[in-house]
Amino acid sequence: MKKVLRDTCLLASLMILSVFGLSIIWSGITAEIKLVFELFGLALIISVSNYLYDELVSLSIILSYIIKYFLISAIVMLFGFIVGWFFPSNFWMVFIYVGVVLLMSYFLDSFRIKKDIDYINKKISSRDKKIAEEK
Amino acid sequence: MRVITRQVENQPLTVIIEYPEYDKSASDLIRKINNLNFRFTAFDEEKQIRIDLSDVYYIENVERKMFIYTEKEVYRFNSTMSEIEEMIKETDMVRISRTCIMNTIHLKEIRQVKNSHLEAVMDNDEMLIVSRKYLRDIKSVFKRGEV
Repeated sequence: MKKVLRDTCLLASLMILSVFGLSIIWSGITAEIKLVFELFGLALIISVSNYLYDELVSLSIILSYIIKYFLISAIVMLFGFIVGWFFPSNFWMVFIYVGVVLLMSYFLDSFRIKKDIDYINKKISSRDKKIAEEK
Repeated sequence: MRVITRQVENQPLTVIIEYPEYDKSASDLIRKINNLNFRFTAFDEEKQIRIDLSDVYYIENVERKMFIYTEKEVYRFNSTMSEIEEMIKETDMVRISRTCIMNTIHLKEIRQVKNSHLEAVMDNDEMLIVSRKYLRDIKSVFKRGEV
């Protein structure tokens, strides 16, 4: 199921990129096309920052997400101001958008970690049982 | 499983594994033999020592120096994390943080401390910090060979 969902998201991204990319030929860079490419650009910047953060910093899950919240909010805010998404009056919306996405990531991450730990511990106990039987 | 042994003079010790199809038991057996065959050359003061992979608990990078930890001893090891990672492919060892590579043979349990960091408890009750980023790699060691 997880693989199907991941593949669906990847396929949707490719479809959006190719449809909007090809549309440039006929309609030039419209506001919608610009927005799509800006979102992909932002996603790339966030992914690289996230990768570097995970590579260099090792903190507890909650503290890590709190720091990520401020870090990603700062990136989105800066990017948003550069490409003209936000005005000084509505920049606070960044904190809501980033908060919602990070909250979902946090719950998904916590669930995945718990599942992985259970899986590993189950494998260790069955391995140990097997070794004990062989002895 | 049939076990056939024979003496062949003037040849190094050779293990040939024949299987009708590559399944979990074949993969487990190959990995176990790889583990048996694997030795690190480390240093105890100035003395050179060969350490079996099965005796290694973990390898740690402390201030850019690598150390091999066995159940009770610590040895100096001249290598880098990336070189070791290359060496330990197809063994039961796995990277668990930026500075540590653990031998899963001696892993007793993984636990999460109150929604905080992850710990690996070894069979000598020593505890190692696990980065969440590498949890998937530990899982894949246990998953390896599953069909």
